[in-house]
Amino acid sequence: MKDSGNEIVLMKGNEAIAHAAIRCGCDGYFGYPITPQSEILETLAVQKPWETTGMVVLQAESEVASINMIYGGGAAGKRVMTSSSSPGVALMQEGITYMAGAEIPGLIVNVQRGGPGLGTIQPSQGDYFQATRGGGNGDYNVIVLAPSSVQEMADFVDLAFELAFKYRTPAMILSDGVVGQVMEKVVLPPFKPRRTEEEVLRECPWATTGHTPDRPVNIITSLELRPEAMEKHNLHLQEKYSIIRANEVRYEELQTEDAEYLIVAFGSAARIAQKAISDLRKEGIKVGLLRPITLWPFPTDRIIELCSQVKGILTFEINAGQMVEDVRLAVNGRIPVTHYGKMGGIVPTPNELIDVLKKDFKI
Amino acid sequence: MTEEIIISGFGGQGVLSMGKILAYSALMENKEVSWMPAYGPEQRGGTANVTVIISDERISSPIVSSYDTAIILNQPSLEKFQNSVKPGGRLIYDAYGISEPPKRTDIDIYEINAMDAAAEMGNPKGFNMIVLGALLKVVPIVDIDDVLKALRKTLPERHHHLIPANEEALRKGMEIISKQ
Repeated sequence: MKDSGNEIVLMKGNEAIAHAAIRCGCDGYFGYPITPQSEILETLAVQKPWETTGMVVLQAESEVASINMIYGGGAAGKRVMTSSSSPGVALMQEGITYMAGAEIPGLIVNVQRGGPGLGTIQPSQGDYFQATRGGGNGDYNVIVLAPSSVQEMADFVDLAFELAFKYRTPAMILSDGVVGQVMEKVVLPPFKPRRTEEEVLRECPWATTGHTPDRPVNIITSLELRPEAMEKHNLHLQEKYSIIRANEVRYEELQTEDAEYLIVAFGSAARIAQKAISDLRKEGIKVGLLRPITLWPFPTDRIIELCSQVKGILTFEINAGQMVEDVRLAVNGRIPVTHYGKMGGIVPTPNELIDVLKKDFKI
Repeated sequence: MTEEIIISGFGGQGVLSMGKILAYSALMENKEVSWMPAYGPEQRGGTANVTVIISDERISSPIVSSYDTAIILNQPSLEKFQNSVKPGGRLIYDAYGISEPPKRTDIDIYEINAMDAAAEMGNPKGFNMIVLGALLKVVPIVDIDDVLKALRKTLPERHHHLIPANEEALRKGMEIISKQ
C-alpha cells in the first residue's frame, strides 16, 4: 500500500476514519451501511486492506451482528471496530454494555444524524446522553472522543484503540454528519503494523487466544449470578472509571485567557462557535471557547476553574440541550449557564449563535 | 483572504463535482479549504448545494451564515440563497433555469448562459466547467492551471483524455460571463 507520508490530502471525515483504521494496525472492521457514514465501509472496500495489512473488512447482516463481531474480535485481543449512525448505534447498545461488563476493548464510531427513532439523515449531536451515560443497561461508561475536524477523525482512531486496550473498555468516536461529510485537508497517520500473535499474547493475557496449557482458562462473560461477586466486579469497574476520569480528560481552549464569556461546544458545533467567537471579538466582546475532546470523561475541573473568570457560559450543541447538564453540574450554580441548539438535522449558523449570546448575557 | 462560496442547483448538474474541483484547485495552491455538501436523499432532478470555503488562514466553520459568492443554477436555489449573499458580494446565475432574475442591488450580479454554451459546444457535460470558468474570471481565487492540475489529480487516468475538453469549457465560461 502506498504510504503518502506527510502528504496533505483532501478527503471526507468518513474517508479519513477508514484510512486511519488501515494505518493504525486495525485487525478488523464490521459494519452495516447507513447515511451519513457509509463512506467508511465504502472506502475500506475500495482500499482492500485484506490484500495488504490483512485487515478483515466485513459487511455484517445488521448492526446487532456488527457489535457482536467486535465483541468476539476484541475478546480475542484484536483491534476491531464498527461504525454506524444514530439509529444503528442504538441497536448496538446491548453489545456495548456486554463489552463494558466483560471488559473487552473495541472501537465504535457514531457519525450522528437527527433523531429520535429513524429521524433524518442530516447532522445532529442528539446522542450525547446515549454516548456519555453508557447507553445500555448497568453502571458503566465508555470513553468518548469528539472530533471536530477531518484531521481529528484520522487521529482519534489510533487514540481510541490505545485507550480501549489500556483500560480494557469500549471506546467511542462521537462524530456527526458535518464532520463525516466535510472534505478538509488532512495528514494521514504513519503506517503501524498489525500486532503479531506473540504481541497479542503478551499484551492481552486475558484474551481468549486458544493457548491454554500454560495458564488458567480465560472466560469472557458479563454474567455473574452471585450478587457478592457481581458487586465486587462493579466496584472494580468503578475504580477503573475513576482512574480514567483522573487521567484521560482532554479538551482544547481558544481565546479563554481574557474571556469574559465562555462558549462550551464539541465536535462540529465547536467549529461553528469558533467563527462566532472571531466575529464577536471584532465587536470587542471577549468570548472564549472550551471544547471538550473527551465527552466522557468530561472536563469538569477546568469548567470549575473558569467559573471564577467568566461572567456566564453558553453551551452550544446541535440538540435540545444535553451536554449543558454536565456543564451545569460542574458550574453548580456559581454563574449563569444557558443553552442554544437546534434539532432534527438543522445545523445552526454562526450568526444565530452571536445573537443568542448577546441576548442571553444582555450585551 | 477568505472566500465563502455556495454553489446550488439541480442534482445531476455537477454541483458537487464543481465544488470538489474548486476545492482541489485551492489545495494545489496550498490554501486552506473546506467542502461541505448539503447531502441528502436527492438524486438527479432534486436540489443539491455545496459550500466551498477557500482561505489563507485556518477555516473555523465549514457552515456559514452568508456568502461572498453564490453560484445559482436554478430558480429554487435563487430563492433560497439570494438573500444570503453578503452586501458587496457576487451572484452568478445561469439564465436557463431562472424564471425570475435576481433583484438585489447591493451585490454584483453576473449572468452566464452556460447551458446554451455547453449545448453549442456539443459538450453538455461541460456545463459545470463553463460555470467554474465564469467564477474564476469574476473571482480569481485559483489559477486555471491549478484547476487543470486538480483535474489530472482527481480524475481516474482513463478519463484524462477529457481534460482538453474541460479546459475549453473553462475558457468558454471566462469568455461569456457578463455583468448585469
